[in-house]
Amino acid sequence: MMLADNGQQLKENVVSIEEWMKGDLKGSCLFGQLPKFEDGDLVLYQSNAMLRHLGRKHGAYGKKDCEASLIDMMNDSVEDLRLKYIKLIYQEYETGKEAYCKDLPNHLKPFESILSKSKSGFLVGDQISFADYNLFDLLLNHKVLCSASLDSFPALKSYVDKMAARPKIKALLECENFKKLPINGNGKQ
Amino acid sequence: MAPYTLTYFPVKGRCGALKMMLADNGQQLKENVVSIEEWMKGDLKGSCLFGQLPKFEDGDLVLYQSNAMLRHLGRKHGAYGKKDCEASLIDMMNDSVEDLRLKYIKLIYQEYETGKEAYCKDLPNHLKPFESILSKSKSGFLVGDQISFADYNLFDLLLNHKVLCSASLDSFPALKSYVDKMAARPKIKALLECENFKKLPINGNGKQ
Repeated sequence: MMLADNGQQLKENVVSIEEWMKGDLKGSCLFGQLPKFEDGDLVLYQSNAMLRHLGRKHGAYGKKDCEASLIDMMNDSVEDLRLKYIKLIYQEYETGKEAYCKDLPNHLKPFESILSKSKSGFLVGDQISFADYNLFDLLLNHKVLCSASLDSFPALKSYVDKMAARPKIKALLECENFKKLPINGNGKQ
Repeated sequence: MAPYTLTYFPVKGRCGALKMMLADNGQQLKENVVSIEEWMKGDLKGSCLFGQLPKFEDGDLVLYQSNAMLRHLGRKHGAYGKKDCEASLIDMMNDSVEDLRLKYIKLIYQEYETGKEAYCKDLPNHLKPFESILSKSKSGFLVGDQISFADYNLFDLLLNHKVLCSASLDSFPALKSYVDKMAARPKIKALLECENFKKLPINGNGKQ
């Protein structure tokens, strides 16, 4: 979404599970995992390192150092919730989903509080940052998982609507190639 | 008055790397130690943006999230690479250290008795990438030719693993050498030998 929003092209090498299980590609990955991102000669692993890299390149890392630090904090908190989400999806979906959705408001409250105080409508400062794309993406996942989850959070609802209305993000969300991708690798959502 | 203030429990926990980076840069740190009893009252927790410690203050800037603190101090003290591509590689390294730290934390707090043996048996698989990276490093640091916040973080985590799985570094010469070199840096050596630091339990539940 950050790439699309910045009008950047992305070449995608799609790896099937069968291909991955052969082991050659996995063995060539620095930490044995995907995604892998290339910018010229620079090869990066770790999705949040990719977000920070693109944030630096495309002016989505704040206007000064203190903003950068706050953006880091916000992104790490999004990552905390993403890890809980991933654990539910891959390890506890059938047994844990109800309790997860019941507990979710406790994890959304801080973001609701931050965004309701934000003059710009973004997490930090007066412009979009990589943490915003990350939070938006995670909120979309939660709308699917726990359907009414944003109903009691007006700032989050408004935030999702505004992000989704950004023309290039809207175009991406409506594009067939993006829409057809399952959210998660095990088909659960 | 110290410009940096840390509010945290009386453990090394997620603040070991931060303290070592500050010491290494000759920086003072004011520490507000919070007992569990104090924390359970709820007032401080309610005032924390995400309901958690540590909390770090640099003048008016209040930060939560230990890795955001490491990045902040990395920026301020020249420990975030010399150019943007180095910064991105440092981010990748730190995130991989964090991946292993999360596994360590899960073991310590959730599965210590039942999971420790399997964890130590599997540990070499997680150390191999760092061994590989460091063995190829001309400088002996993870990225580029100077120390970064990711180095303090990896060093701290390796110290924890030396305690948990005692012979874990034996088959990793580059990691052994790395730990020795980091521990020999004069201001880190002083911190590691200082009573206040030595007496802190690694984790909050007494397990290590």
